[in-house]
Amino acid sequence: MATKVAIIASNGGLFDAYKVFNIATASAATDAEVAIFFTFEGLNLIHKQAYQQLPMPAGREHFAEGFKNANVPSIPELVDMAQQMGVKIIACQMTMDVMNLKREDFIEGIDVGGAVTFLDFAKDANISLTF
Amino acid sequence: MTSPSSIKADKTLDCKGLACPMPIVKTKKAIEEMQSGQVIEVQATDKGSLADMQGWAKNTGHQYLGTVEEGDVLKHYLRKASPSEAKEENKFPHTISNDELQAKINANEKITILDVREPAEYAFQRVPGAKSIPLGELEERINELNTDEEIHVICRTGTRSDMACQLLAEKGFTKVKNVLPGMSGWTGATENNQ
Repeated sequence: MATKVAIIASNGGLFDAYKVFNIATASAATDAEVAIFFTFEGLNLIHKQAYQQLPMPAGREHFAEGFKNANVPSIPELVDMAQQMGVKIIACQMTMDVMNLKREDFIEGIDVGGAVTFLDFAKDANISLTF
Repeated sequence: MTSPSSIKADKTLDCKGLACPMPIVKTKKAIEEMQSGQVIEVQATDKGSLADMQGWAKNTGHQYLGTVEEGDVLKHYLRKASPSEAKEENKFPHTISNDELQAKINANEKITILDVREPAEYAFQRVPGAKSIPLGELEERINELNTDEEIHVICRTGTRSDMACQLLAEKGFTKVKNVLPGMSGWTGATENNQ
């Protein structure tokens, strides 16, 4: 059976996004089954507008040039690749309610669910990560 | 000796200038479009790709052959495995174990070892003195071999060498032996092109 990788994304900065989507795409490319549960500020990473301009941590803005020099793909590009390779994206319903966000505020092709939706996937995961 | 840059690949993938995880993602996509047994050359400048390619191959079941460094460019060679590769039954009745072959080599017996893997596999690791004829070229190059010779045929896991043995037997070779399991379990000395 394929390796299962379960990821919780709960932070909304650019660094957080790269940590989440690099691991997710690399896992999917290595034939793993991947699901990411986006909760609280993690929802930024799949928000139609927000994910195009995620903030650098304060005082770390100078890394922008490093990202450019290293030819790192943009977050929307990485998300697109992840989805093409079958990475399952789950947005947390509870956080969406708290923040008054609608499904159409997010990118296409996502699932919306509660904690148990993620737990059901994660219960027999080989690798669980939290970012 | 062939120079490393002349290692034959069925497909070349340019990942130069791309950062992690792009070389892996692109390799996965490229290998999906290839036939089992074909070899891909992945050119990358990401230093991390060296360890990544090996880890990726280990987890996907494809075969990592080796890497050649040319300036800043790492050329990784991988061979697409077929799902049945490790499971296929060996049918050729005359076999010899790696250990028995090693014993013959140690005893300085004058023996012929025929390596029927792809040139890229042969280039990176082979039994010293082994002759290379890839399985796909065996029929047309069969006159390079002597029918009366005792020939030890080797590949990676014993599948391709089994087919080669059967082909040689059909063509009148009488002293052919399939080396099992082959290079995948070889612990003796090896040589390469570099």
